[in-house]
Order: sequence, then C-alpha cells, then structure tokens
Amino acid sequence: MSEVLEPLRISLLIATAGTLLCVAVGTPAAWVIARSQARLATVLAAVSLLPLVLPPTAVGYYLLWLFGRESAIGRFLIDSLGIQLVFTWPGAAIAAAVVSVPLFIRTAAAGFEQVDEELLVAARTLVAPWRVFFFVVVPLAWPSLVAACLIAFARCLGEFGATVVVAASIPGKTRTLPAAIYDANLAGDDRLAHQLALAALAVGFVLVLTLTVALQAAVRRSARS
Amino acid sequence: MLDAYLALKAGAFDLDIEVRAGPGITVLFGPSGSGKSMTLRAIAGIERPARGRVVIGDVVVFDASAGIDLPPHRRRLGYAGQRPALLPHLSAAKNITFGLTRVPAAERLGVAARWLERFDLAGFEQRRPASLSGGQAQRVALARALAPGHRVLLLDEPFAALDETLRQSLRELLARLVREEGLAILFVTHDLREAHLLAHELVVLDRGRVLQAGPRDEVFRKPASRRVAELLGGVNLLRGVVVERDAGRLKVDIEGWRACCDSWAGDPAPGEPVDLVIRPERVVLRRGEPQELNVLPAVVVREFDYGTSRTLFFAPEGPGPALSVEVASRPYEVLGIATRKRWLLELPPGDLHAMPPAEGPRQ
Repeated sequence: MSEVLEPLRISLLIATAGTLLCVAVGTPAAWVIARSQARLATVLAAVSLLPLVLPPTAVGYYLLWLFGRESAIGRFLIDSLGIQLVFTWPGAAIAAAVVSVPLFIRTAAAGFEQVDEELLVAARTLVAPWRVFFFVVVPLAWPSLVAACLIAFARCLGEFGATVVVAASIPGKTRTLPAAIYDANLAGDDRLAHQLALAALAVGFVLVLTLTVALQAAVRRSARS
Repeated sequence: MLDAYLALKAGAFDLDIEVRAGPGITVLFGPSGSGKSMTLRAIAGIERPARGRVVIGDVVVFDASAGIDLPPHRRRLGYAGQRPALLPHLSAAKNITFGLTRVPAAERLGVAARWLERFDLAGFEQRRPASLSGGQAQRVALARALAPGHRVLLLDEPFAALDETLRQSLRELLARLVREEGLAILFVTHDLREAHLLAHELVVLDRGRVLQAGPRDEVFRKPASRRVAELLGGVNLLRGVVVERDAGRLKVDIEGWRACCDSWAGDPAPGEPVDLVIRPERVVLRRGEPQELNVLPAVVVREFDYGTSRTLFFAPEGPGPALSVEVASRPYEVLGIATRKRWLLELPPGDLHAMPPAEGPRQ
C-alpha cells in the first residue's frame, strides 16, 4: 500500500507547498495586474503567462540551470546558504509553483478586477492600505481567491514535466503520483499504475467538486451585488 | 480649514487650480469633465498631483516640493462619492466604525449607535447594506466619513443617484451638520440648482481651471467672465459697447439701446466692447411710458410654463436686445400677462452686470 500512499503523500506535500508559493508570489502580482495602470503591470501580465506557453520540461530545464552551480543564484544558494534544491521536494514544489502560478494569477486578478473602485477609494480614506486589502479586498474577492488556490493546487498535483526534470523521481523523496504512474507503466506494473491512477482520480474528484462549489458561490455573490 | 493648490496632468487633461474651504459648504461647480472629481481625489490623496500643496486644518498633508505625501487615511478628511460604496459584507454599524481603528472595540458599537441615531437610523445597527434604501445607505456613508471625527468633508456628487425628496432631506442634514459641528464641506456638483441651494462659497471650474471663486451670491450676480455667466445658467448674455464711465456707473450701448450698469468685472473703458448679463428673474415688468432709466419697450414672443414659474421671451419694439424674463406663476396671473403682451422691461442698474468681452463670434 505504501507504493500508493508514499507518492500520494509526496504529491500532496509538493502541491501544498507549491500552492503556498503561488499565494505568496501570485497574490501581489495579481493585485498589481488587476489594479495598476502602469506599463510595468502590462509587462508583468505578459511575463506571468510565460510558464503557461512553455513546455513544462523547458521550465524544469531553466530551473535546473537556475538552481545549479552554473548560475549566480544557484551558487549563492548552495555555497552561501547550503540550500540544495535539485533532486529535493522543495525544488519540485518550486517547479510545480512556477508552472501553476499563471493560472493562480489569472483567476485571482479576475476577482480583484471585480472589486468596486469606489469602494476602494472610500476605504482608502478610512484605513491603512494593508487593512483595505485584508478587510475589504479579500472578503469581497474570496471566491476567486479560493478558486485560484484550488486551481493552483490541482495543477501542482498533476505536474509532471517540470518537477521530474528538477527533482527526478526518487522513491520516498521526490517520486510524485504522476511520476510513480509513469515509472509503473514503464516497468510494466499495470496493477500499481492502475491503483495510482485511481488515487489521482479520487483526489481530483474531491478537488473538482470543491472548485465547483466555490465557483458557484462566486457567481451567486456577483449576481447579488 | 482646507487650502489646496494642485497641478496635475492626466492624458490630455490638465488640472491647475487653487481651492480654499472654510467652515460651511464650498461648492465646486462645473460641467462634466471640468476636473471637479479629480480635484477631490487629489485632495484626498487618491490621485497624486505633479505639483502642489494641500493643507488640512494646520497640517500639511501634501507638498510636492517638500516631498510630503500623506496617505489618504492619514489626511484627516472624510470622503463620500456618488454611490454610498458601503462594504457589502459588513453591517451598517461596522461600516460606520470601519475607520475607527484606534477606538477600542468595545466602544465602537456605541459610536455607531450615536451616529445612526443622529441620522434618523436608530436600530439599523445590524442591517446589511443590501437591505438599505438609497437614502439610508447614503446617510450611513456620510456617518462613516464623519465618524473618525474629521472636520473636513469631501463630497463628490453624493446625492446624484437619489430622487429630489431624498436629496432635499439630505441637504438639510448637511446644513445641520455644518451648523452644529462647524464642518468645512467641499461639495462637488454639476447641478446648478443644487449648487445654489447648498453653497456658501462657490468655486466655478472649467477645463481644469478655476474661473471664479467667492460668496455664492456674488458669483451668481457678478460673474467674472462670459464663460462663468454661461456656466451659471446665463441666459440674457448681451454684447455692448462702453459709452461712458463714471465712478460708480457705466453707460453702455446695447444694440442701439442705451443702458446704465452699476456692476462690472475687469476695467472697461469708453469705446471698448463688453459682455453684459442680467438674470431673468431680476428683470422687472412695468406698465406706463418709457421715460425712466434702463427701460426697454418689448413684446412677449414666446413663453414656457414650468408650473411654478414662466419664462417669457421678449423681442424689443425698437433697437435693443432680446431678453428672457422669469416670472412666478402667481404674478403672471395677477399682471395678466396671458392677455397683455406689450411691456416695459426695467433692467435695474445694480442687476445689469458688465464683463470683459469673450473672444469669438458675436451671439
């Protein structure tokens, strides 16, 4: 059973970490893209879509170069901080996050765009910007933010190309559900591949169900206001 | 209480204005796109002027050359726009106390209750904005803007979406607040009637510039230019030539008719063209012979019935200008204007106002 549970655990770990990274990086980016008139925001919007058009293996390849000794950042990470990202689950989580963040940003930005400008102006004259964000923007855009998180989580969970290039498929360490299915299939272990795919299906079903409920809430909310 | 100089460019629009507001209601009046809302937003700190200085109370909240730019929530002013913009996920009470971050949580409900009571909304604490009527929501929005204790209030056409009865009761509410609290309100509107009803001081804006500022009646009676007169609903805009100028009196020729005027802007000299204006409600209808000063024989050629008043269009019988005259419905009946069409129009010299001539074709 651990042949199924272990990859599932690693997948969930990577997806959770990847989603958190998406939230941390994607939320401010989505806010700027949705609200700023500056030219930089347009550039950011375009750049944020890049991982979507690149093959995931290409994203993985670039990250491999970035995390390795060939790049200044990689040297700094390895030599000064002692952080080795290649062939580790944090590396895989970063790879999954990079691939998923365009979807997170798009979804969150759509939610931010719907927040009434006049409401923001009124709020800004009353309280500090961080309060405006957490007590006005987040409560009003939460269905979109929840949807963004779920989409990012789902994308992280299914991520194969970029993670496998960065972190390979080390059993018990970086072998995710998709990687395990790929390996089982190559090895001709149909029974295991089948069980793994079933696990992916079950998790996926729960996710899609939650996502649908969240989106319906969003639609109902916008219909009311 | 408020002293602002602002200069900013947004695309093709160029704003460069100076506005002052003391206790009372200062109306910022102008046509759409004249920069009224932009001015409020710049004072509030939502827009950032390229140059300028904004002083509220005795605090400099913005000074481009000194690098001072306080964020909106620290400028100590209240703001309310066209729509109430209440936070839909919070109750009326929580909306009102939203800006009271320094008041202990336990006291906030009391503050909200006091404001709701003042605005005739006692018992509405737990109501959601979606369940409030337009007028109720706008009152909550005003309470929210005032609850932090600000003395300066910026209002951007706050009654635009409401019907006339509600508008009137909210205007009375504002007047009461000004009396009781000594608030300084900067009120934006493009509605001439509203401007007249509310203003103590009037600032006329056009294309990003202040054309004239002063006490309401002075601006209405003595516009500084033809454009101001036009914006203030100027009918009876006339072209004339100065014939003579004494210490306190101007003799002018208006299309061959001689008149005196005791009020003028600028420095008109004999021989120079001037624009003149007289408000339609200031023209007096008389019977008798045209021997007096500023009397023009004329005939009613058209009239409009507005219910409470009538606007009469007069054509001169001899040389002179065409004029429109506003008469309340009752005097209209008493004078028998319905049957009698020939009148002498008296233009009191104090109400006929001369201005520097506008460029452009004669009208």
